[in-house]
Amino acid sequence: MADKPIEGEKRVFMTGNEVVAWAALAAGAEIMYGYPITPQNEIMHYWTRLAPKYGRKFLQTEDEISAGFTTIGGVLAGRRAFTATSGPGNTLMQEPMSMAEMMRIPVVQVVTQRGGPSTATVIYSQQEVTMTCFGGNGEGARIVYSTSTHQELFDYTIKAFNTAWKYRFPTHILGDGYQSKMRESLTMYDPASRGIEMVPTEPYVAKGGVPGIDRDPNHLRNTYNTEDELYDVVMGIMSDWEKYAPEIAEYQEFDAEDAEVLIVAHGVVTRAVQAAVKELRAQGKKVGHFRPVTLRPLAEEQLRKRAENAKVVLVVESAYGQLCKIIANSLYGLTTPIKKVLKPGVGVTAEEVVEEVSKLL
Amino acid sequence: MAKGAKIALAGEGGQGVQSVAMIITEAAYEDGREALYIPNFGVEQRGGVSVAYVQISDEPIGSPKFKTADIVIALSDRAVRRTQRYVGDKTIFVYDADIEGVEDDLPKNAAKVLAIPAIKVAKDELHPRVFNIVIMGAVIGATGVVDVDRAKQAIEKKLGYKFEKDPKLRELNFKALERGMELVKEEL
Repeated sequence: MADKPIEGEKRVFMTGNEVVAWAALAAGAEIMYGYPITPQNEIMHYWTRLAPKYGRKFLQTEDEISAGFTTIGGVLAGRRAFTATSGPGNTLMQEPMSMAEMMRIPVVQVVTQRGGPSTATVIYSQQEVTMTCFGGNGEGARIVYSTSTHQELFDYTIKAFNTAWKYRFPTHILGDGYQSKMRESLTMYDPASRGIEMVPTEPYVAKGGVPGIDRDPNHLRNTYNTEDELYDVVMGIMSDWEKYAPEIAEYQEFDAEDAEVLIVAHGVVTRAVQAAVKELRAQGKKVGHFRPVTLRPLAEEQLRKRAENAKVVLVVESAYGQLCKIIANSLYGLTTPIKKVLKPGVGVTAEEVVEEVSKLL
Repeated sequence: MAKGAKIALAGEGGQGVQSVAMIITEAAYEDGREALYIPNFGVEQRGGVSVAYVQISDEPIGSPKFKTADIVIALSDRAVRRTQRYVGDKTIFVYDADIEGVEDDLPKNAAKVLAIPAIKVAKDELHPRVFNIVIMGAVIGATGVVDVDRAKQAIEKKLGYKFEKDPKLRELNFKALERGMELVKEEL
């Protein structure tokens, strides 16, 4: 059996789905659970091809509800486990994901957004933002990384396992069909070669020893009898959430400091916005870009600081205001107006962003 | 010719536009350039025209799909109609001279509209199976985004296992590449 999936560093040119499979292997993921749905299928395909070579496992379940719950099962057994899905599959997976929130189970879920609502397109969208961040009957104690390049898909898939196991919140890679299907170059690496240590996993059940004698009893609970009991538990989760949010939140800025027009965009759309900002700056226009890398938690303070100094905030997304809702919520109280470019289920190009900004200047 | 290029390749399923896109972007990647290729896929492809979106640049590439292409290559009547939307006033629009009944559908706003006899050349001079490599040559001839030798290496990488069995195929493919480049250069 081969030892490490990647030795040192390796420059490659491949699809995003292939990147995710390699990253999960490099991160030491032991098992993937899944059910087929476009555009994430090839994550499963590549994983099933690669995993046996490195002693890793795969289980195809009967649907996404089951894929989510079996991922939880894998984690409870102490395995570095993950799943991947999209669109209607993500909808079904919300029940297990909210259980993971409640019980602080570090599952990793990769979402490749497709068009919605419902079956819609298998192509692309940013319409799974609300669901991935806040789906299920809970408070959204989930960590969501929105990637924009294949390099980030690789980096953040590895990171997701560590964030999940460090903080014990379900952690999500929010990609999209474009990122899944396109080919571009990236550098793959063995995390250890870059000094990245994988956070060790541990079982939640079957810990060994006699409870009460060798170790504390392990009380795993997902049902509560009284309102007060539940209140204490949820407040405990949210207090941890608030405490860790600032160290988890990530963002990027492009000429944002003196921007009069501050464009906010995430995921693959940031690529178009970055190119647009470059062009508009070359024309001498004071345009900048704030890109949240984590949508949950959001780098609120940093965003507010930039938005406060801007004349207008422009939210650009391939959805009808799902990012905008999150942004507007965190900018509450500021007087900077928010404008929107909303293109549900459709890609955004740099040319369009330039055009939209030019209307504002 | 510009160093970077946005290329839309469109044809019927089986004409090989996706494999051409794949080989060109692999060649550019091997050359150390930024390259991005995305096919249209899924339901949008079913029963329709197959489109490959290719971008090659020295700068990081923006959005995977684009509004206006530098080069559009259309290989069927439906592809000619479908790719109108990617044409702007700087676009070079290339289509196969054998496509019939599209005279009224050719873009009016393109910088140049070129008819190249790729299907005919492949059939009469080479072999119908290397039609897509003729097209690949045409793309390279029109854009200069990839060096010819690099393109040959990429073809070798993709088809090398076939060449080993039959070395004449190598010659045929390389000839197809060169003919494709000539066809465009004659017209430009």
